[in-house]
Amino acid sequence: MAEGMPVIAIYVCAVIAVYAALRIILQRNTMRKLPFLNVLSFAVTGIIALLLPHPITIAAAAAYFVGSTLESNAIASTWAGGIKKDE
Amino acid sequence: MLDEPTRILIAAVICWLNFMIIDLFFKLPESGGVSGATAIAEEVEKGGGALNGGFMMGNIVSSPDASAGTLLASCGVFCAGFFGGLFAAVLVYAGNRICYDPGYAGTTGCITATFIVYGATQIGFAASDFIAGMVIAILTIQGISHVHASRLIARFWSVRCRWLRGCR
Amino acid sequence: MVACTALVFIGTAAAILERDPFDKLISLSLMISGIFPFIIDRGLLDVATATALIAPLSTIFILMVCRRVPA
Repeated sequence: MAEGMPVIAIYVCAVIAVYAALRIILQRNTMRKLPFLNVLSFAVTGIIALLLPHPITIAAAAAYFVGSTLESNAIASTWAGGIKKDE
Repeated sequence: MLDEPTRILIAAVICWLNFMIIDLFFKLPESGGVSGATAIAEEVEKGGGALNGGFMMGNIVSSPDASAGTLLASCGVFCAGFFGGLFAAVLVYAGNRICYDPGYAGTTGCITATFIVYGATQIGFAASDFIAGMVIAILTIQGISHVHASRLIARFWSVRCRWLRGCR
Repeated sequence: MVACTALVFIGTAAAILERDPFDKLISLSLMISGIFPFIIDRGLLDVATATALIAPLSTIFILMVCRRVPA
């Protein structure tokens, strides 16, 4: 597995990713999980960019990040809509 | 130049300042952009945090804001130089519109970050330092203690309201 | 990397153990985030971009389906 030069940067992102994953599980409240999921998306986007320095990687990283943000947004909106129990 | 861990920490501080200043400027802590952001803000407040801080954290989760812009700008400069950063800004703009966000915080943050990261690479930093730095910066806001982070944001928000008029 | 494998396993375990449906969806998101760097590492950037756009869409569809069933 060819690791590029920024080894410490990749390790930082990986450690933060695992930390965020653990915080997600340990958090009981659903809504409070979402900021930790957001941190995870940041970390994995960082890992993606650091693994493969190619111009198209920007598109893949951005697609992943926007996708995961959209997903968190959808989860949060649906949760908000469900609890209020309108319609 | 400097050692890599030191560079990453300095980059983290710069990223933190960049995205905080731009998000505060674009009034992110004022209200929730979408219903999901408001829900997160209410939950943070129930846990003991400040409502305005919660709004900003909710907005960060729901839509690409300056923090996302800074991260993607660093990735862009790392992968393809200065124009990579600008390409990332275009993608952030598209992402904002896809998430129904009418604001420009993300795009602005991305453009300023492109300039900052590119300038820093000329004086000895590596773009990868900014990627790791931005992840650390967002960890401090969203990933350690929601209560304390939201109170910190609310304090900055009140300072911003006093300096630049234009919020409630 | 080892961390990404850990992410996948943590995500899968969490998806099995969580009760609340929203928590399960969040755990699925965790799992997919772990798989992603492996796709990139192989060099399949176009696959990665496509997956990155499709996976959240599938979550959104699941949410829309769950909405029909009153919680």
